[in-house]
Amino acid sequence: MAWKTIDRNEPVVDAGATPVLTEAIRGKIESFFPRYPTKRAVLLPALHVIQDALGFIGWQAMKEVADLLEIHPSAVFDTISFYTHFWTKPRGEKVVTVCRSISCELLGGREVLEAVKDHLGIGEHETTGDGKYSIAVEECLAGCDHGPCLLVNERMHKCVKAADVPALLADAGNADHGLPRSDLFDGPVVDDDRDDGVIASTSDVVEMQDSN
Amino acid sequence: MAKITIDNQEIECRDGIPVLQAALEAGWDVPHYCYHPGLSVVASCRLCLMEMQLPHPKTREMGWAPKLFPSCQTPVKDGMVVRFDSGAVEQNQKACMEYFLLNHPLDCPVCDQAGECHLQDYSYKFGESESRMHDQKQVNPKKDIGPQTLLYSDRCVMCTRCVRFAEEVSGTEELCIVNRGGRAEIDIFPGIPLDNPMQGNVVDVCPVGALLDKDFLFKKRVWFLESGDSVCPGCSTGCAIRVDQSDNRVQRLKPRYNPGVNEWWMCDEGRFGWKYVHDVERVTRPRLRRGAEMETPAWESLGEIVRYRFEQQVDRHGAAKVAVLLSPMMACEEAWLLAKFVRELAPDATIATGFVPMVGEERCFPVGCNADDAKFVIRREKCPNGRGVELVAEHFGGSTCDFDGFVTKAGEGAFEAVWVVGGYSEEWVPKALATSLAKIEMLVVQDMFESALTGEAELVLPACAWVERDGSFVNHAGLIQPFERAINVPDGARRDGQYLFGLAGFEGLYSGARVRALMAEEMDAFREIAEAPRQPAHQH
Ligand code: SF4
Ligand code: FES
Ligand code: FES
Repeated sequence: MAWKTIDRNEPVVDAGATPVLTEAIRGKIESFFPRYPTKRAVLLPALHVIQDALGFIGWQAMKEVADLLEIHPSAVFDTISFYTHFWTKPRGEKVVTVCRSISCELLGGREVLEAVKDHLGIGEHETTGDGKYSIAVEECLAGCDHGPCLLVNERMHKCVKAADVPALLADAGNADHGLPRSDLFDGPVVDDDRDDGVIASTSDVVEMQDSN
Repeated sequence: MAKITIDNQEIECRDGIPVLQAALEAGWDVPHYCYHPGLSVVASCRLCLMEMQLPHPKTREMGWAPKLFPSCQTPVKDGMVVRFDSGAVEQNQKACMEYFLLNHPLDCPVCDQAGECHLQDYSYKFGESESRMHDQKQVNPKKDIGPQTLLYSDRCVMCTRCVRFAEEVSGTEELCIVNRGGRAEIDIFPGIPLDNPMQGNVVDVCPVGALLDKDFLFKKRVWFLESGDSVCPGCSTGCAIRVDQSDNRVQRLKPRYNPGVNEWWMCDEGRFGWKYVHDVERVTRPRLRRGAEMETPAWESLGEIVRYRFEQQVDRHGAAKVAVLLSPMMACEEAWLLAKFVRELAPDATIATGFVPMVGEERCFPVGCNADDAKFVIRREKCPNGRGVELVAEHFGGSTCDFDGFVTKAGEGAFEAVWVVGGYSEEWVPKALATSLAKIEMLVVQDMFESALTGEAELVLPACAWVERDGSFVNHAGLIQPFERAINVPDGARRDGQYLFGLAGFEGLYSGARVRALMAEEMDAFREIAEAPRQPAHQH
């Protein structure tokens, strides 16, 4: 063929591989079943559980959760790719989230994004080889009057210029915000306080748990 | 019946259907992508928007509502007043078309859909000839998503018809939408290809050239195709199809809308199962045994020879020793003509109905549904006219039997002169039958391919493929459906209907309709024939 066609028929999941969803993860997902009319409806909480436990949801995990919920793996892929919140590859220690909405775009947001990509040598929703940084792109970060904006984890950086990017990324404290950690932040946390095998959770999962 | 007014014209329409469907059926060409009558309504493309009159919230006076409504999602209501011919509607259509073409590669010269593309047609009719886009286009990739299908997602308009088809009709759910907004594309889960017995329909429902059939890829520009309205011979469902041909070669088959039978769909087995038509091994000439030699008789002399040889047999062994095996691959008309001919020569002749290939189980779609809820059924009876030849045999009455009965009787030496019709694309002759018929004096074999029987025959006649013939098939439910001829018979051959017409004592040209008229005089069933409805140009 005269032009390049991507072959999507190549399997990405090895049928014989050891499962990535542990018993604890499965148990937790199953505990949501009684609350929803169908197993399919448990997909979103299940994805949160998996991402909390594993840091990301790879092909193998997608396939396994599909089997667990008795839905087609394509439905899982569909949902995961809709939400930028979910990662399909390991996420770095710090996530640089660049705004791509209109104010920032008009003020040079695109150049900032390019600078971040160039500097880290990775693309959107990718992670550097050393596991330090990942890049995400989001719609409006609610700092439109001070664009272009970007987040390093939860720390907002405003009026960022492309030329500032190397220094900004080199700064070890670029994610410090001097505020107590938000409940809503869901970095790949390891819950050291719990020894009962229960998986650490995002705030919404905790909330769901508590209301149980 | 509801009465609604579209663009100042009052029309009558079925209750509860979407305004869009009513408008299309009444002859309006309303542009639309996401709506398909066989799928759920999502109203996502926004191309079909209309203006509608509503009562003023205070004065209750009827007037045009300030916003536009999706006509695909608004059911008709008696007395409703809508319009498509307003500035606001046209402006919306223009804006939508501009949006659909923003990232489109405009590669019509190399696109299979060109000529039957809704993007082309709508751009021409409702769009602008220039794009104001000066930014770089978002280019989505071309993907191989299954053994039969390619997805060029750079041409996709994200109507999601294909995804809904896989969810709601085939029930196999291979397709999904990945990403969101302007970056959304159709995809599969890598390694789980679009591969189900009905997958070819996604190419039909795709209004643009995004989903492509590998079988037809770069084969023919569609404006060189000529079509015949036919019926699929693949199984006893009897899907209405269109045979697209050029230069006397079949290029592809497409389903035709046929309510209650195949609706808008057909299965892949039927869609791709026509390749044998152009097999060089086909029997294309008559072959007559004279002494130890085989020769090719002139078609003109055939009637006389056949008559003479059969009469000889009747004289020698009696009429009861004559039999004819009517194949369920024949059209009703052909079966009627042949039965008529044989019974005239030998009134006690046996009329047997032929081999009915049964394969596997009935397959109902969406997968996992039970037979009553099925939107589509692929039947295990792999021939189109089992019912039809039974009808003909019943009509002639007297000594009749089914295929097994025929094989048994032949084994017992019940026949001396037999006319056997095959016409299957695959090997079908049981050993026992070949052995017993090898012994008889007069064997005529009308078949498409050489078999154990053709070698033993006094006379071999070519059976033509269904695309080369016209007539009617009776499906599993007893529905009589006519089919047209799409291509000519191979060189040297003659349509089965034509030579049987002559043998049965008629003069001139055979046509299915002509013979049906004759049959209708004797057989009530043939008074009324089911024709699949013709479609409005942009029905789907
Ligand atoms: S591939 Fe075709 S049918 Fe599927 S969403 Fe795109 S345009 Fe619609
Ligand atoms: S547009 Fe970038 S923060 Fe709002
Ligand atoms: S919105 Fe009506 S056809 Fe798409």
